[in-house]
Amino acid sequence: MDGGRSAVGSPTEPRRGRRGGSLMARSSYEYPGYERSGASYWTKTTLLYAVVTLGALWMTLPFWWTITTSLSQNPTAASVSFIPEAVTIQHFVTLWERPDIMLVRWFLNTMIFAGAVTTFNLAFDSLAGYALAKLDFVGRDKLFLLFMSTMMIPGMVTLIPVYLLLVELGWVNTYQGLIAPLIANPFGIFLLRQHFKSLPSALGDAAKIDGCNEFQTFYKVYLPMAKPALATLGIFTFMGAWNNFQWPLIIAGEQNMYTLPIALFAVRNQYFAEWGLMMAAALIIVAPVLIAFLAAQNYFIRGMSLSGMKG
Amino acid sequence: MALEEGEDRGDRRFTTAARDLLGGTRERLGSGGDGDAIMGYLFCLPNVAVFSLFLLGPVLYAFWISFQQWSILQNSGTWVGLSNYAEVLTPLPVTAEGLNLVVFTDPSANLFWWSLKTTLVYAIGTVPLQIYGGLAVALMLDTRVRFKKAYRAAYFMPVMLSGAASAVMWRWFLSADGVVNNLLPTFLEHNWAGNPSYALGGVMLMAIWGGIGSNMIFFLAGLQNIPQELYEAARIDGASAWHRFRHVTWPNLGNTNLFVIVMAVISAFQVFGIALVFSEGGPYYATTTTVLLIYQRAFEEGKMGVGAAMAFILFLIIFAFSYYQYRHHQSGEIEY
Repeated sequence: MDGGRSAVGSPTEPRRGRRGGSLMARSSYEYPGYERSGASYWTKTTLLYAVVTLGALWMTLPFWWTITTSLSQNPTAASVSFIPEAVTIQHFVTLWERPDIMLVRWFLNTMIFAGAVTTFNLAFDSLAGYALAKLDFVGRDKLFLLFMSTMMIPGMVTLIPVYLLLVELGWVNTYQGLIAPLIANPFGIFLLRQHFKSLPSALGDAAKIDGCNEFQTFYKVYLPMAKPALATLGIFTFMGAWNNFQWPLIIAGEQNMYTLPIALFAVRNQYFAEWGLMMAAALIIVAPVLIAFLAAQNYFIRGMSLSGMKG
Repeated sequence: MALEEGEDRGDRRFTTAARDLLGGTRERLGSGGDGDAIMGYLFCLPNVAVFSLFLLGPVLYAFWISFQQWSILQNSGTWVGLSNYAEVLTPLPVTAEGLNLVVFTDPSANLFWWSLKTTLVYAIGTVPLQIYGGLAVALMLDTRVRFKKAYRAAYFMPVMLSGAASAVMWRWFLSADGVVNNLLPTFLEHNWAGNPSYALGGVMLMAIWGGIGSNMIFFLAGLQNIPQELYEAARIDGASAWHRFRHVTWPNLGNTNLFVIVMAVISAFQVFGIALVFSEGGPYYATTTTVLLIYQRAFEEGKMGVGAAMAFILFLIIFAFSYYQYRHHQSGEIEY
């Protein structure tokens, strides 16, 4: 838990754990009998790098194949393996021009969906996280436990009843239907509660003496200090919604409400064996997330490792 | 958790001290306990509303639906008692005459038991490799490797992929004349997506590929939290690398392990999107997992009651497993 708390800080600040800075762990080679030379050392090192590199190739080659296939005139296994032959952007042009492929609309749908889900999550989760960390009220800890226990409910149990509820409301095939069930998330509450708990309560007391009410204390004093945690949660939530398949598949039945993953599934059924076209479509979904990841790697990794600190 | 309660107490002691220091100020400002309470409930209200409307309420509603024969046109049901459960579960694998294992081997006998078997095979085939593959990578990257950040990024890349995109990509790589067969020796070449014997293998391969990265991150975080002194002490006692792993690293990763196993099993039992996009449950039901079956029954055929009944049975299985893991973990917990 302690590691979780200190890790909520800005990803750019040096890690405060034992391995950061001058407290760097002593590697094996600083002990007698583990010198950095000799046949055994070189064998081990070579083996280590070979295994790690092979694994990394396995992880990244599919991305490369996707790019080469999308750029090949007539993709075959041999022509896309490493360097593409006959490079062309024709598949992207086709995606853009086919009247039944509403690329811009689907892209906008996905942006609206992911953007709204993220905004609501940040607002609601920071309110609840703050209350559960800094305010004193009867049943607070029970409420927190209740929030956390909802994490154990498998998504597929609620799928049918939530769908039927939205049918009743007439929200099928609408943005509100797409967004509403996803606007709160127990993981976000947990993350922000931990972060608010790590901030001193004296700040709030000082703000109140200066005349802030409870909401102003939250909004003007504590919320700005939670920016790193909010950024982590925001990126993570956005990515989750961007990639979400199950919920949009069920609620967005009509073409003009598709999000990109659903559209990819529909396009796949229609243009089955046109692999160049398919890979170009896949790349359109993958590229934004991948670019964002390479630009803000630390936030992504921090978000992932924090989601593992719940227990 | 014990640590956290400690912090909690410390935090409160601190607040109390501040209040003592402030004397009556709090009362004068009108932001004492009562104000806190009202604001506290108010701040939690949106989440309480969303959770009860879209999580807790629906669980109860789903239970009710599972006893109904649902009419899509009227969006209402008629009570049919246990007949949905009977439809899903019969023929049973255990009958009065003995075992009836044909339900697991023949999809035409009972699709639900068949889908449970498919899901179980998928879980057994993917979860250990996702978890311990992730642990192995984390252990390797936790040493002094150059370009650590680049390696970490490479292993993490598949995690960010949408299941739909990854399934479409792998469908192409694993097709009869795809890239994977091109790289494999002839005797390992298969028509992965088109052959009932190998289609599930294709889905599993894709899931392992996408699952190693997140577990690697969890284990890297877990490794960071192990106090370095324990390794120093073990070295002084002459422990070999294996013994340091077995008696220091492994017991200290207990919490991470529990979390990772429970999460991986829960998501393996709910595998859906990749199976649907990869091969639509086929060929010949080879990739019809339980959630895919629920989707087909409820949303393609409109049998909401039957779908809800299946969902509930699967929920019970998942819950039983998580509870068992948790109890098992508690009995093996270490104290220092």
